[in-house]
Amino acid sequence: MAFDTTDVLLSILKIAIVLGLWLNVTPIMVWIERRGSALIQDRPGPNRVGPLGLLQSFADALKFIMKEDIIPAQAHKWLYTLAPTFGLFPALTTIAVVPWGRAFMIPEMHIAGRTLFEGGRWFNPIVADVSAGILVIFALASLGVYGITIAGWSSANKYSMFGAIRASAQMISYELSLTLAAVSVLLVAGSLRLTDVVAQQTNYYYVLFDVVKIPAWNVLSPAMWISFIVFVVSAFAETNRLPFDFAEAEAELVAGYHTEYSSMKFALFFMAEYMAMATMAAVVTTLYLGGWDVPYYNEPATFLGFLVSFLAFLTKVGLLMFVFVWVRWTIPRLKYDILMRIGWKFFLPLAILNIVIVAAFIAAGWI
Amino acid sequence: MSEFVIFFLFAAIAVIFAMVVVLHRNPVVGALSLVASFFALAVMYVLLEAPFVAALQVIVYAGAIMVLFLFVIMLLNLQHVAEPPTRPIQQFLGYTSCAFFGIGLVYYIVKYAVFTTQPAGPFQADARAIGIRMFEAYVFPFEMVSILLLAAIVGALLLSGRAVGHRAKIGQEVGR
Repeated sequence: MAFDTTDVLLSILKIAIVLGLWLNVTPIMVWIERRGSALIQDRPGPNRVGPLGLLQSFADALKFIMKEDIIPAQAHKWLYTLAPTFGLFPALTTIAVVPWGRAFMIPEMHIAGRTLFEGGRWFNPIVADVSAGILVIFALASLGVYGITIAGWSSANKYSMFGAIRASAQMISYELSLTLAAVSVLLVAGSLRLTDVVAQQTNYYYVLFDVVKIPAWNVLSPAMWISFIVFVVSAFAETNRLPFDFAEAEAELVAGYHTEYSSMKFALFFMAEYMAMATMAAVVTTLYLGGWDVPYYNEPATFLGFLVSFLAFLTKVGLLMFVFVWVRWTIPRLKYDILMRIGWKFFLPLAILNIVIVAAFIAAGWI
Repeated sequence: MSEFVIFFLFAAIAVIFAMVVVLHRNPVVGALSLVASFFALAVMYVLLEAPFVAALQVIVYAGAIMVLFLFVIMLLNLQHVAEPPTRPIQQFLGYTSCAFFGIGLVYYIVKYAVFTTQPAGPFQADARAIGIRMFEAYVFPFEMVSILLLAAIVGALLLSGRAVGHRAKIGQEVGR
């Protein structure tokens, strides 16, 4: 396959869109987190900086930049400095294999005497449509633990160390349930490619003697309910969010793995956390909530169709991220041994059971 | 041409980090360098048009096994102990024999493998092809490996766990 300049420019455009979105997730989510927690706890929350406190995130960012950057004397200097980037790298790259809209045909254009997009050109709104898509997500997500582990170890602080050890044990345990839960979805789609997973979900199921038709979103299929619950709960554990944020655990470990971090290094951990959250929300949307699909609406392969599907994708991801915030301020932190026990003795067997259920559904021809 | 550049770049990264694993004194740095080396290897699989194998390489080795290694290293909390050089004759013999072995290995690889054989076209390495081979042609070795792993798990439990009665007593104390 030969690449020409247009292809390269389109790829750069896609990367710019995704990167721009993902970099803006953190300030927006910080605002939603602070105002949302205030809403849930029945207090006003930050409302002084800008209308509704909307500029609070900028004030926070400014404060991060102005703070002194401290490296503890006992710390391993190299790894201490590199650790935040280890955390950020998987959070930023994972989204590359997730489709975020309907592919559409760019028509031939004549601007200022030059012909652009000769003969029309397909615009596939995904940065890298690789055949092993979902595996790439799990591969990169599994690297996210290194940021936390290395930060905790290199800080030369007992509390950081505890956070790091907890994080590595927790993530190893929950990755298994996460992957096995996703296997159910892949069985139905028959492909590891995420565009295929979404394409399968744009179909419809006919229920009640083939009278009513419902969208073939995986979350609406009874065979997937266990897998959906296991996946979402494991996603909370994988992104280190409450009720599973044992790597941080303010009440027990000061601030866990980033106790010693200050200034922009701390801000990078913050960004990595919210980006990982956004990525997980995008993956849940793609695997279970139909990706960019709008139910009962056949998106045309034009720019309009793309725009509608893109907005649908963003809406679903946004709603899921609000659920992340909602859960954080509603459910208290679990005990660590309970977390480990749930993971190994409850979720792992459930995820395997769901694979059997889905296989039976497929064998019976119900899906 | 770009494949050529990418290959040698990542080959260099893989080899350099593999050497850091052996030569660096800090075990945590060693473990992380091994992760970097594995990652560079995964790039090689992508160059061979086997993204499935590349993803598995990262998931299994970088994502799971090395995290466990790091976990164990951090739990043991190894300290730097400057060891005085002991047994100089044995050390000398060890280094020279290793050097000869290394030279011989490189010589034979260069002579018989590199630059002489061409791969017979793109090989099948997607999920479907690997699955079919694993469960048809290689189902017996596959099952043998799983039994071996099971035996290893049981053995580890037997070696690390105490007598059953004792453990039940601990369980009562903790209140489970």
